Amino acid sequence: MSEQSTDRTALPFHPMLELEMEMEIFMSDWLHCNQLSNYVARMVSHDRSDPVRHANLLSSALNELFEISFRSGSAPGRLHCDISRGDHLERISLTFPCAPEQQHLYRDASTKASGGGALERYLDALADENSVQEDIILLGLAINYDASLLLREVEGRALTVILDIPVEGLLN
Amino acid sequence: MSSHEPVPLFSAQFDLNSQEFSLSGILRPLSPIEIAETTTLLEKSINQVRGVLYINVKRLIHMNATAYHALARLLVNASRARRDIRFVVVTSSVVGWATRTFHHLSAIEPKIAVEAYDSAFYPGQTFVENQSFIPILRTQTKMTWRHERDILPRHGMRAGIAMADICCGIGDFAVLVHKEFKPARIVALDHSAVSLDYARKVAADFDIRDIEYTYGDASEMLLEDNQFDLVTCRHSLQIFNRPDILLKELYRICKPGGRVYITNEKNSHCLGEPRAASIQWTYNEVATLFSHFDMDVEMGPKSRRLLRDAGFEAIEMESFMVSNLDGDPQDFADVVAAWEDVYAGEMSVRRGDTSEFIKRFRQGFQDHIFAALHPKGYAGWPIWAASGRKPL
Repeated sequence: MSEQSTDRTALPFHPMLELEMEMEIFMSDWLHCNQLSNYVARMVSHDRSDPVRHANLLSSALNELFEISFRSGSAPGRLHCDISRGDHLERISLTFPCAPEQQHLYRDASTKASGGGALERYLDALADENSVQEDIILLGLAINYDASLLLREVEGRALTVILDIPVEGLLN
Repeated sequence: MSSHEPVPLFSAQFDLNSQEFSLSGILRPLSPIEIAETTTLLEKSINQVRGVLYINVKRLIHMNATAYHALARLLVNASRARRDIRFVVVTSSVVGWATRTFHHLSAIEPKIAVEAYDSAFYPGQTFVENQSFIPILRTQTKMTWRHERDILPRHGMRAGIAMADICCGIGDFAVLVHKEFKPARIVALDHSAVSLDYARKVAADFDIRDIEYTYGDASEMLLEDNQFDLVTCRHSLQIFNRPDILLKELYRICKPGGRVYITNEKNSHCLGEPRAASIQWTYNEVATLFSHFDMDVEMGPKSRRLLRDAGFEAIEMESFMVSNLDGDPQDFADVVAAWEDVYAGEMSVRRGDTSEFIKRFRQGFQDHIFAALHPKGYAGWPIWAASGRKPL
């Protein structure tokens, strides 16, 4: 296992929900991304100050990660999603099968989203029809949701994307 | 459905009269090809307008990065090619991600403006969002509850139901319902952040954890279709300029077989003795004043027609008179004093009324207070409660 960003596992996060399914089943229908996002977001938002808006925001971010895993196209294997909560953050941890030769796409996009100048890169990517899809998605999560990203390679066959989002802060 | 079929969760429309292109629903395509019809419609819309094109995304609940990228490129390219057109993207303050996401378009191309839709769209909203309205709402609910507690079971209220209180204000009604009827779920929605903060504080003080207070626009709700056994909307249709749109939303979120319960007033029927003539004159003027701001506080008896027009069946309707005989007469007097503050002190001034008019206008409220507090007096405020069932 290797990590690309600072280890933040020491932060106190409480588990909220865990979901696992066969990648083949998940990839049988594109609508699963939308359905799972809405379901998971609603389940973990019920006790927030504004559950409806919280679920709407969380679903938007979560859906982007489900879509990334869907587009990786790497069945067989399992899709694993963990949602946990810290003081001011919701943590989404999504593990999906991903071939080593594909992982550089996500590492490059993550580097662009995590460093300085992310906003300029995002605006350039939006206006460019040849932009890499992964750049648009990960930059968009960093810029539009004030999210931070962490990538982990899992034994050369899968990738874990960890996204921390201050959803309650975005509601204010 | 295979993943290669378009996601049928959204709609796109173009209205040439208002030069408005609208997107609504959930826009999460696998690839830009899936939304080719939508992008083509947007291109055609751009070619048909002059001056300005409004892009309305107020009811766009979700949009993924794929769709956003496709729309962003199209709008940026169009704004560069058509220097004669301004583009105005109208988002909703209720949909948290939308304003943040679309805001970038104006940074890429300054000719694209992004405007967050807000309460100013409702002519009367500023008056009811004013903090001075909170004491009115609090005392009003206390007085009407004595009647509504008996009325509500006839309109579908019972233990264990899922209910929504739309335009919940400071949330007192939701708290009272929670204690008295014990619904399984209560969602309480309002478009005033100030009122909701107050509601959350009251609920926290009372250790009530299971009312879901949510910031939302009653005419553009994020709540999904067919969710609630009972949807309540009290004293609110009468202060919106388009009650039909609100009723359509109440109908949408109500389960088939469930009921929508509304209360409204007919202010010109407020009455009192003694000094009946002065009181009558002032409340006739209240109705005219509200009408000036596109609000209809004479709506009460129209509820039956409104519900029928919205598609409801099995309509139940009744009226009750809140009076100075309900508990402490001072409560009634306090409500009228608060009305005087807002109606004569703010709205009449805003309309540009003369000082002579305002003086006489205030006198009627004072006389109503006099009648309420007089040991032999009577003061009344009539309210119409109605509900309709959504067909199965």
